[in-house]
Amino acid sequence: TELRLSHQWSNKDIRHQVAQIVADEVAAADVDLDIKIFGSKSLFKPREQYKPLSRGQLDMTVLPLSYAGGQQPAYNLTLMPGLVKNHDHAARLSNSPFMEALEAKMAEDDVMVLVHGYLAGGFVGKDKCITKPEDVKGLQTRAAGKSFEQMLAGAGASIASMASSEIYNAIQTGVLQAANTSSSSFVSYRIYEQVSCYTPAGDVALWFMYQPLLMNKSAFEGLNEAQQTALLEASAKAEAYYLEEAKKQDAASAKVFAEAGVELAEMSAEDFEAWRTLAMDTSYKAFVEEVKDGQELLDLALAVE
Amino acid sequence: MAGHSSAVASHTGNNPFLRAVAAISTLAGWCSAGMIVAAVAITCQMIVVRFVLNGSTVWQTEAVIYLVIAATLVGLPYVQRLRGHVNVDLIPLSLPAKPRFFMAILTSVLSIAIVAVMLFYGYEYWHFAWDRGWRSDTVWGVRLWIPYLALPIGFGLLLLQLIADLVAVLIGVDKPFGLE
Amino acid sequence: MDPLVLGGIVAIATILVLFSGVSVAIGLLIVSAGFLIIFDGPRSLELMPEILFGKLDNFALLSIPMFIIMGASIASTRAGADLYEALERWLTRVPGGLVVSNLGACALFAAMSGSSPATCAAIGKMGIPEMRKRGYPDGVAAGSIAAGGTLGILIPPSVTMIVYGIATETSIGRLFLAGVIPGLLLVGLFMAWSLYSTWKSGDAARLGSGSYTWAERFEILPRVLPFLAIILGVLYAMYGGIATPSETAAVGALMCLLIAMIIYKLWHPSAIWNVLRDSTKESVMILFIIAAAGVFSYMLSSLFITQSIAEWIGTLDVNRWVLMGAINVFLLIAGFFLPPVAVILMAAPILLPIITTAGFDPIWFAVVLTINMEIGLISPPVGLNLYVINGIAPDISLKTILTGSLPFVACMVLAIILLCLFPGLATWLPNVIMGVAV
Ligand code: NA
Ligand code: NA
Repeated sequence: TELRLSHQWSNKDIRHQVAQIVADEVAAADVDLDIKIFGSKSLFKPREQYKPLSRGQLDMTVLPLSYAGGQQPAYNLTLMPGLVKNHDHAARLSNSPFMEALEAKMAEDDVMVLVHGYLAGGFVGKDKCITKPEDVKGLQTRAAGKSFEQMLAGAGASIASMASSEIYNAIQTGVLQAANTSSSSFVSYRIYEQVSCYTPAGDVALWFMYQPLLMNKSAFEGLNEAQQTALLEASAKAEAYYLEEAKKQDAASAKVFAEAGVELAEMSAEDFEAWRTLAMDTSYKAFVEEVKDGQELLDLALAVE
Repeated sequence: MAGHSSAVASHTGNNPFLRAVAAISTLAGWCSAGMIVAAVAITCQMIVVRFVLNGSTVWQTEAVIYLVIAATLVGLPYVQRLRGHVNVDLIPLSLPAKPRFFMAILTSVLSIAIVAVMLFYGYEYWHFAWDRGWRSDTVWGVRLWIPYLALPIGFGLLLLQLIADLVAVLIGVDKPFGLE
Repeated sequence: MDPLVLGGIVAIATILVLFSGVSVAIGLLIVSAGFLIIFDGPRSLELMPEILFGKLDNFALLSIPMFIIMGASIASTRAGADLYEALERWLTRVPGGLVVSNLGACALFAAMSGSSPATCAAIGKMGIPEMRKRGYPDGVAAGSIAAGGTLGILIPPSVTMIVYGIATETSIGRLFLAGVIPGLLLVGLFMAWSLYSTWKSGDAARLGSGSYTWAERFEILPRVLPFLAIILGVLYAMYGGIATPSETAAVGALMCLLIAMIIYKLWHPSAIWNVLRDSTKESVMILFIIAAAGVFSYMLSSLFITQSIAEWIGTLDVNRWVLMGAINVFLLIAGFFLPPVAVILMAAPILLPIITTAGFDPIWFAVVLTINMEIGLISPPVGLNLYVINGIAPDISLKTILTGSLPFVACMVLAIILLCLFPGLATWLPNVIMGVAV
């Protein structure tokens, strides 16, 4: 049996390696299961993977689940400012009743999770450091994710929406003065060449994005028992690797920026609380209003220690 | 052919069906041009809001993208009517009248078939988005069936114009491939 | 089946379908559907509209209709004639000065228009009849405009550079800058050839005559101002922190429409509609090809053809310049038959990994590719500029146009060779203005 896996990253990216581990392990198990990886958005565009996945036209994908927030608004909780504090907290969230509730939503779309995983991100400023809400006031800012846009707008930033590939030029020419996205995107788009300050994810971080390896549920159920077992065992291995590597990414990105001569700033615990208070009034509030069982889901997430 | 200012429309003769389809396609062309103009206006508005007023621009990028997509799809029948879709007519040109006629019928039928497929699955995709209540994953959160509507409309009207073009060749109102 | 063999079969099927006279975009959809049904099952057809829509779902595509509107609105006014006349008053003493003026006008117009047919039409409408009236051979008149018009996609803004930027995720701002010096180089080569051929034909004295007083020369200068205003305005918006390159296109389109309406009195609704109709026609044609080529490249990728070709070329142990030569021959042949946008979209995903692996700069390659596409624009059977010339001067035969443009094709080949010898011609300016490559 051949399964097709699509993702948007280069073959050096941690998320490709996660997929590759699953593919290699399954192949080694010798259960007549072959995973063909289509990386670097060679098959589908990043935001257009969830629809074919849910309709069974694609078997597997690794993607930020919030990309599908338009199909299942509940997924917006997987990119919510301040909801996740650090990588260990993220791992606990992945094995909580909150995640079970989300997986129930995925099941509605015939989708299931094979590998859980969160990646963190930070802020860059063209002229100054961004650590607390006051810092973004009046700045043209590009945020990654709807909830971040709402929170930053609440902090008085002006939101400019554009593709992450445009960030470099926009900062260079001054169209943008601040941006927020994942550690790996900051590095791969070489943003360190154009900014003066970087606030990476550290002991606390605001920006965590859930980026699981998903599979079409019917496709999984169509496999025989040996294949299913092999797939689940491979996924468990990949998940352990994912968590370890995710922690290393933030430090690695900070190192790249520091080497490029960019100032590094740190978000203090008070800063984090200030952002979180702001997020409660803006993005959390908007989420609860928009999603029918939003409050319950949010409570489930907040209940995770 | 994709000449610049020479808009050589396909012939309709006095055939009411052909004229009706031509009128619909022209109307679609106006809508398409209108959407392009709207995209210009919105982009300029966005630049003013951002650069002059230093305000947030949340919906403009998305609106412009959908307008350009809709302009493209809805514009298809009109451009077909103006024979604006480029083709390679090397072989048809070198053929004598009879084979050229059959070649024209064959390419027409193939075109009609593929556009019908696009119409069918385009409609299905639109309906799926409507049924599931899909929205875009932005603050603006557009209901996706609205932009997706351009798929069935655009391909539906293109199908109509292609059928009209085939009919025109069959009843002799127009020459195969528009070649004299 | 081996993906490489399959790739060969797809190539042959594509050629057969496209040569049948079906329109390019629909032909690409037909080929894609056929192979998807056979190798991925009929269910894969479900995905086609979704992928087609997805390929168009890109903000940068906005700039295509915008840069076309810029060209079309100015082309519909007297502006092209003014520009051309201004140059002609200043260059009359030069033998073959009229051809040189026309080429200069094409180059200046190209700095405002993203499309080659628009550039060709704008200058040719006035330039071709004028040159013929003054005794220039038909071939020279038509050939120089056909070739000069191709500068529309090399000198920024450029629709094909935008498409390349989207397909390969390279910076559009950087690509635009890369085209500037090669564009000037090409104009220089074109002009040099024109001067030489006039001089050699012995008609130099006759074709250089005509005289204007200095008063006449200065009097026309203000009429060139709108051009300068537009070009500077667009450059300022793009590189001055006001807007991204894609957004800038809208500023340019608005400026051109307003200038056409206010300065050149383009009031009449039917005149404005003509501008919009021509722009819509060209844009929709290009965007539909982009969308269909997206489905086509999905099919290639889904059948693992793209990946296999890139891998296969990687294993070949050939000199990188032999590889570059082969790529150029391939592009030239593809350009004979297909419009530039289709070639770029189908070739870029396959070629880019090969190019970068072989150590070539993708920005530099964009320029080489664009010049190749310029040759395609003036070569049969599908040469968009040839159709434009045919529309302006139907009595000049295709053969005459082709013979006339042949020396200019030679100039383009020479330019490609120069670019290979001195890659800095393309990469120096973007590196100076935007910092060393991203
Ligand atoms: Na240009
Ligand atoms: Na050609």
